[in-house]
Amino acid sequence: MKDRIKETEVRAFSDIKAVVGQREALEALRIKYLGRKGEIAELFKGISSVATEDKAEVGRLLNELKVSVTSAIEGSLLSSSNKTLSSKNRIDVTLPGIPARLGKLHPITQTIDRISDIFIGLGFRVVEGPEIETEHYNFEALNIPLEHPSRDAFDTFYLESLGGKNLLRSHTSPVQARFMEKNKPPFSIIVPGKVYRPDATDASHSFMFHQVEGLCVGKEIHFSDLKGCLETFAKEMFGSSTKMRLRPSFFPFTEPSAEVDISCIICGGAAGEKRCSVCGGKGWLEILGAGMVNPKVFEKVGYDPRKLTGFAFGMGVERIAMLKYGINDIRMFYENDERFLRQF
Amino acid sequence: MRISYNWLKEYVDIKESPEDLSDTLMSAGLPTESIEAIGSDKILEVEVTANRPDWLSYIGVAREVAAITGRKLKIPKIEKIKTPDTKEQIKIRVEDRALCPIYTARIIKNVKVGESPSWLKVRLEAMGLRPVNNIVDITNFCLFETGEPMHAFDLDKLSGGEVLVRKAKKGEKIIAIDGVERTLEDSMLVIADSSKPVAIAGVMGGLKTEVNYSTKNILLEAAYFEPISIRRTSRKLSLSSDSSYRFERRIDISNIIHSSDRATGLICQIAGGQAGKLIDIGAKPDKKKPITLNMVKLESVLGHSIPLVKAKKILSDLGLKPKGSSREKLSFEAPYFRYDLKDEVDLIEEVARVYGYNKIRNTIPPVVEQPERLSSDIAILRRVRTALTGLGMDEIITYSLLSKKTIANAALAVEDAVCVANPLSIEQEAMRPSLVPGMLGAVLWNINRKAKDLKLFEIGHIYGKDGSNFTERQYLGLCVTGEISNWAGGSRNYSFFDLKGVVETLFDSLGVKDILFASARDCRFSDASCASIELAEENIGIIGEVDPSVLNDFDIKSPVYTCEIYLDKLYPYISTKRKFEALPKYPSVSRDISIVADKDTSSRKIMSVIRGSAGAVLKDVRLVDRYSGKQIPDGKISLTYRVEYQNPIKTLEEKEVMEAHGKILHALGSELGAKLR
Repeated sequence: MKDRIKETEVRAFSDIKAVVGQREALEALRIKYLGRKGEIAELFKGISSVATEDKAEVGRLLNELKVSVTSAIEGSLLSSSNKTLSSKNRIDVTLPGIPARLGKLHPITQTIDRISDIFIGLGFRVVEGPEIETEHYNFEALNIPLEHPSRDAFDTFYLESLGGKNLLRSHTSPVQARFMEKNKPPFSIIVPGKVYRPDATDASHSFMFHQVEGLCVGKEIHFSDLKGCLETFAKEMFGSSTKMRLRPSFFPFTEPSAEVDISCIICGGAAGEKRCSVCGGKGWLEILGAGMVNPKVFEKVGYDPRKLTGFAFGMGVERIAMLKYGINDIRMFYENDERFLRQF
Repeated sequence: MRISYNWLKEYVDIKESPEDLSDTLMSAGLPTESIEAIGSDKILEVEVTANRPDWLSYIGVAREVAAITGRKLKIPKIEKIKTPDTKEQIKIRVEDRALCPIYTARIIKNVKVGESPSWLKVRLEAMGLRPVNNIVDITNFCLFETGEPMHAFDLDKLSGGEVLVRKAKKGEKIIAIDGVERTLEDSMLVIADSSKPVAIAGVMGGLKTEVNYSTKNILLEAAYFEPISIRRTSRKLSLSSDSSYRFERRIDISNIIHSSDRATGLICQIAGGQAGKLIDIGAKPDKKKPITLNMVKLESVLGHSIPLVKAKKILSDLGLKPKGSSREKLSFEAPYFRYDLKDEVDLIEEVARVYGYNKIRNTIPPVVEQPERLSSDIAILRRVRTALTGLGMDEIITYSLLSKKTIANAALAVEDAVCVANPLSIEQEAMRPSLVPGMLGAVLWNINRKAKDLKLFEIGHIYGKDGSNFTERQYLGLCVTGEISNWAGGSRNYSFFDLKGVVETLFDSLGVKDILFASARDCRFSDASCASIELAEENIGIIGEVDPSVLNDFDIKSPVYTCEIYLDKLYPYISTKRKFEALPKYPSVSRDISIVADKDTSSRKIMSVIRGSAGAVLKDVRLVDRYSGKQIPDGKISLTYRVEYQNPIKTLEEKEVMEAHGKILHALGSELGAKLR
């Protein structure tokens, strides 16, 4: 008997589930199970043939079955009327969502973070240094004599004196000497930060801009390592098909020195693309300066240049961001126009 | 420097087109900025770096082309100068041998000053110079050909029959050939006759003794002047010339006599005249020390091995004299025109440069053990930025340099600002003492472009003075202004509490606890809403509504709320460590308390009374409604707090909740006079 009750319960529930919300089918099921001649009524009739000691329990089970099937059918009917109700109040799903605004990081920050992350992946460490500097760190420690034409490339803002002679760093390179004075090799660092030069402002010049400096020093650090790191950087930053080339150049603090170009990110350096507005048909874009640390720079911080070698590089963040995003006017970075900022 | 393609071909065979030549030069380190066509010629504007003054002459550039292409350098032959047996008619005295170690001069008599032949004019015009007369043109031509600046004086206008190389007397004046009178300082070197300066040495000749069509006899000067002295003079006088440009970069000390002979030869050939004997005063150049290149060091620097024979050939081709070699060492003597070659690493660069940087392989340096890759400060800044953008704030970057007027407009003390000694414009004359003026500038820019809803932040340094030192501190600036609106919720203006909420959420995300906002007064902010932000009894920031008079000076019409947080002071309190706390096992119970209190009872006071009175089962309390108006008497305010109770070790009983709730009500009544609503 108990087995029949169980079997009826399972079957009734699966029948009800199959026709949820269908008023007529549910009515049919109600008659089938709960009607006067329904299955449950038939089961009640069989109670007389159950052994006396089991009668009470079977009766209880049958009552429970009746209650649960009744409430299942009612529940199912209710959900049918809810459905009708909710379809009447259907929302316009094409209305705009209620704005949940995500702020944007300045494109310069995004570019610095990207550059930093690439070099972190190559084992570099990010450090910073002061913007107000001395002539010593900005020039002399970097083998730039005070009265020499090599200084002409570094026009500099000086500060009204408080006794000493201070300036706004014209590049992030002063951090090289500051870091080396306090740390022992081997190390590899990159240094992002603001720099200042008294340049008249136009679409490609700003008196304040950002640089990222890199410095890697150790017992066996080679020019080939510089090339490998920079090529990895170029490919990560501008895409894996980017090509890189180095041209000999001159910086007082590196020797050998190089200017580093990448293949034009617009025309890819395709021959004959004379009209490319980004590279001017040259096929190459200058992105950074680099070289092996000049032994004189090591001597000035008390390193032994016979035992150590190292490479250094420096890049303009605005230049990289302008290339990457196709921005054609450096002033836009500092206007902070929302319509500009929200694009990145 | 301009390089005429046609002219350059006089000194070396050039088979490639001007464009290909420009590529060749670029790969040697001499990049072309532009190529310009002049008639049948092409002019390459090349950018000469400070280390290669030898490239400031045609022979210098031709020598490089010859070295890297393996072609032959063709230096013009100089006819032996016939020197008639004339007596010297001029006395030359060099008073300052330190600034002028070599001075040569030669008298050329009976020249016919006139127009230059057309070939010579073409050369000068290619350099962008206006031909003057044959004598001046020849000295200019030789300057570009040899890199040695020379000057011709009208001999008959030099009074007293002598030439002196001396320091100027303070206040002495000279009218140079550009017609401008200049007052000289006693640090400046001049060429003088017995009475007056006739040239600013190495910079520019004087008008009085210049060679013109009436000149008969000339004195041709070729000398070596110390670079620093020329640079100082040129800078002080703001007078730069083709001549000073070369002297301050150091001319080839071994080439002076050759250059003088070359100019003399051309003068005699073109203008006639009889050349006298060269008067040569000065020391012979110091002997050069050989430089040794160790091939092991070369490979260690480059990470690439280059055969010794290859290195030897490269250096020889560049004009270095071999001074012996062993199995892995090469010794060379650098020529005088390569002052930049002094040490082993200079030779390594030369070998690598000509071998080709791009032929050197690419490797990755070993990763070495270092402290954390992202120092904690920088990691914190990233967290701050992530939190703030998540809260809908846009990051801005404004200039660190401002006008003093902008600083004053923001009600900041101009006299405390760090000032720039050499600003380009008044917009850059001072360094910002606060991030607020820059943020207000950005607000104005956007309001003028119809922005309605601005939430901005900036992280950057501010600058100040501390005694004789400058200070630089990391600040965070925040600002909200305008209205927030959407179709479902309508619109409302931002308030102080919108910004305060951002700040509180930020502190929470940084693990900074127990922040206090204390009512404060600051002339930059309105008296009605301004608070200092305190942490462990230290002031770590300020927040408030920008004072209307400040907004007026910035031409902003709507209220702006700003906050500055002194990140440098906050760093020690920031904790990025998190430890898991087991979730409560037993359910909590929430009860609201609605009270009417005096309007000027501070929220913090009420909170502390609730927290102080409820006992151990209090879990949390927060304000859910604040109301004044109908039904609430004047001077009173209705407040509803939602109090959450929980017992960590068992299910709360109704009795416990009632008891705690009762205690709170009692305390609010007895301590603050608040009544249950």
